[in-house]
Amino acid sequence: MASDDVRTLSEALAADPSSLVFLQLGEALRRRGDLDVALRVALRGVERHPQLADAHDLAARVAADRGDLDRAVAEWETVLQYAPDHIGARKGLGFVCFQLGRLADAGAHLGAALAANPEDASLAAAIQTVQAALEQAALSEPTIAAERATVPVNRAALPPESARAEVDAGALFDDLLEGQHSAALLLDADGLVLAGRYQATDGRDLAADVGAQLSGVSDEASRAMRHLGLGAWRQIVFETEAASVAMAPSRDGVLLVAAARPIPLGFVRRVLERALDRANSWLGGA
Amino acid sequence: MHAPFSQLTESLIRHRGVLGAMVVGLDDGVMVHSTLQVGVNGNAFAALTASLYRKAQRSAGAAGFGATGFLELLAEQGRVCAVGGENLVLVVVCETRVNVGMLRVDLLRAVEQLS
Repeated sequence: MASDDVRTLSEALAADPSSLVFLQLGEALRRRGDLDVALRVALRGVERHPQLADAHDLAARVAADRGDLDRAVAEWETVLQYAPDHIGARKGLGFVCFQLGRLADAGAHLGAALAANPEDASLAAAIQTVQAALEQAALSEPTIAAERATVPVNRAALPPESARAEVDAGALFDDLLEGQHSAALLLDADGLVLAGRYQATDGRDLAADVGAQLSGVSDEASRAMRHLGLGAWRQIVFETEAASVAMAPSRDGVLLVAAARPIPLGFVRRVLERALDRANSWLGGA
Repeated sequence: MHAPFSQLTESLIRHRGVLGAMVVGLDDGVMVHSTLQVGVNGNAFAALTASLYRKAQRSAGAAGFGATGFLELLAEQGRVCAVGGENLVLVVVCETRVNVGMLRVDLLRAVEQLS
């Protein structure tokens, strides 16, 4: 939404502070990343309309974007007091509970949302993700193994068949990773897997889950780049307890390499660069 | 009188190519202390890097990778490096030519003092 629209909505709210235009204004501010201002708008709306479920829903979504998950949970639980069938609140609670590791609660909220809207494919996919996480939690800690398997592929985002190299999408990076406890994934702009694989030691494929979780980091980087004056981002690398992760933009998506922690960060970057060349060639049909 | 973190940020900015070093609140992105070269917009780097670091923390946690340590963002015209402590994150803004390996070691050493 353009800043002119935000200005128009702000003026409309100033002219009539009791109107519900704060819902549109808060959402517009949230979408463009002005989270502090969006939260102020939302909380002012909650003060004026304490029994309006959508006001609490707005406050919850802004809080979730700010990483204030406890506040988000509290606001969405308030939504359910006033509107027990509010699908947005159920979805939001499912997402936040998943982030907090409350997997059973996440499953319950998403299940309730799916019951109210059985045709929502994204809910069914989210429940599958929660179920996989529950199963994973019951097993030993996963490690990365570069073994052959089939990866769910977002066919719609692939280049035309004639332009694609004749290789198995799941195996696109296998030779770059051979012998290493590492994985490479090519994701589209929605975080869906285009190529690559990520397997746990028990053979389960975690590509879709890992890709969906980590693709948000590149979105955050793109947002930061608009304000920092450093030009476009080229790489993000970060170390965690279990893995080193490197990411780079690739056409409309992102390439991600994850390697078990003993593998040096510099090696991970080299793999990323080589995999990026491979991915761009594959997308271009070279 | 020196601020509690001045020694820490001053040691980091001595690296060749480092333009600024900051101690930032992890949750709110507000700068706690900084040593910056002229022209560096410390508040913007503090807020946006803390936000990126939080996102990496949440995403890595959700993906089952555990706690996040060193993070580096490489852009066309510079780098931003960060390491998080308990409630604070140490942020360094630098040119692309900086020796990242040395900087990483010093950041990991420095972040122990934040706790």
